[in-house]
Amino acid sequence: MNLKPTYVIMAFCLFLLGISLRGKGPGPGVTYVTLQLPDSLPRPLYDFSKNPLTKEGIALGRYLFYDPKLSRDSSVSCGFCHQQYAAFGHFDHPLAHGVYGRMGTRSVPTLFNLIWQKDFMWDGGVNHLDIQPMSPITAENEMDMPLNELIERLKCNEKYQQLFKAAYGTEEVTSQRMFKALAQFMATMISFESRYDSVKRRVPGVAFTAEEAGGYNTFRQKCAGCHKEPFFTDFSARNNGIPYSPNMNDMGRMRITNNTGDYMKFKVPSLRNVMVSAPYMHDGRFFDIFQVFAMYDHGQEKGSTVDPLVRGMQLSPKEQRQLYMFLNTLTDKHFLQNEDYREVIIAD
Amino acid sequence: MNRLFLFLSLLIGTPAASQSVILTFTHEVNHQPMRPNKAYYTAQGDTFTITKFKYYLSNFSFTDENDQIVKPAPEYFLISEDSAASKKVVLTGLPLGRYKRVSFMIGVDSIMNCTGAQNGALDPIYGMFWTWNSGYIMAKLEGTSPSSRYPDHSLQFHIGGYRGAHQSQRMVQLKVPFIVTAQKTPVINLVADAATWFNGATPIRFSETSGFMTPGTIADRIADNYSHMFSVKTNK
Repeated sequence: MNLKPTYVIMAFCLFLLGISLRGKGPGPGVTYVTLQLPDSLPRPLYDFSKNPLTKEGIALGRYLFYDPKLSRDSSVSCGFCHQQYAAFGHFDHPLAHGVYGRMGTRSVPTLFNLIWQKDFMWDGGVNHLDIQPMSPITAENEMDMPLNELIERLKCNEKYQQLFKAAYGTEEVTSQRMFKALAQFMATMISFESRYDSVKRRVPGVAFTAEEAGGYNTFRQKCAGCHKEPFFTDFSARNNGIPYSPNMNDMGRMRITNNTGDYMKFKVPSLRNVMVSAPYMHDGRFFDIFQVFAMYDHGQEKGSTVDPLVRGMQLSPKEQRQLYMFLNTLTDKHFLQNEDYREVIIAD
Repeated sequence: MNRLFLFLSLLIGTPAASQSVILTFTHEVNHQPMRPNKAYYTAQGDTFTITKFKYYLSNFSFTDENDQIVKPAPEYFLISEDSAASKKVVLTGLPLGRYKRVSFMIGVDSIMNCTGAQNGALDPIYGMFWTWNSGYIMAKLEGTSPSSRYPDHSLQFHIGGYRGAHQSQRMVQLKVPFIVTAQKTPVINLVADAATWFNGATPIRFSETSGFMTPGTIADRIADNYSHMFSVKTNK
């Protein structure tokens, strides 16, 4: 009898705790997931304590990623432009597509190793992985979907009620829950299993050919300053000498910072999976990697913001051929074929 | 069992040593009530109407008579002319006593601008977040003016920017004596006068500046202007 009040109080405290935790973080009964990352990598920038990975959260994110209902006329999903076999870039398309046949102004960036990336988009204008999808979802020439309408649309959908409940404990649909689930799915896109990685890890029987080794040498001398290992980007924005296009009138990061010192600066893309993610540059103007080599060798525009690291770069035909061989070793077939990322077919 | 109920009621009720304060907001233009489609004048002589007026408030703190600064739990409020409910803010956790000043930020502090998807008043569904250049719109004023150089003669002032050279958060400090007692929740009525946006140290002419929707110098100057938009109306 003496103990009873204690139990009542304890139960009441648990009840209060339950109230205070409601709507925040994963729901009860979720399966937590830990990413398997090579030990040699630095700690991810993404703060998983604010968005712990769960099987259910990732599943919701994957479903959202492939759902055309995220666009105004239910025709364009994230996965429409971000194709797995192109390392989540857009195969053969220089510019992003949108609803009603609209066309974007920049090429579709590849998606992988995003949890080390400090900012997003070609101009680095988006500062967090969680909110990156807001850009393509609401952009008029991409998915053109106002966020409040999207949340209403998802709320009314039975499948989403189940998926949100599984991931977060209640059926409540909020933009925060949606964005965090998308971020969870994108956080799982990790690519470190190319032949280059096997060579680096000294996997028995795997070695560069003489041509590849020559290309690696050239890469380290002339490319690695910006395309820094192991990510093959230093995540900075730079002017690589690409000529300004009057048609596109895109001056890159200058639009974000209002600083003329950022004229024609674009984010340095990773070279991982580069051979499967053509076309190249922020506006997809080059369909062939040799056009990129040619641009660096003799096609650069002169200007004060052109990065000193690429100014006057010369690439001989031999260096170009060997670079091509080396870049092929950066293709991660395991990533491109990983069933965990495969498209979910959504027909409703 | 009686003691148990007493304990539970203590647990449920607010702690006896602290109370809340209510802030209400009234919007005016040149000391007249803000009304849709009503024409107002800037000091420069431009006619204009206001169709949208909203702003974030955060980082509230209160100074008591002993110059101790009391900070309620961090909360973010989106005050919007079209929502009566938004114009009443309740802040809790103030120790009983006499106070002399309130201070708050117009806008959202930088940390909440760069830590991912937020909820509540900071939910991006309210259209107060820039998608292409991450960051909150700290304050928004839209309307019309015959002087506007935009084709539809609209005014589009979306003031934001949280980093680098262009930071648009502004701190406001107002003298307002009030007493928090166990019996009574004080109500402070604040007035925000939208005319200050265009009439301050940097006068705005709509024929030159009909709007501004990026971080930048004009946004900074308008934020300076509207940092003086609040005054205390009554103190009950």
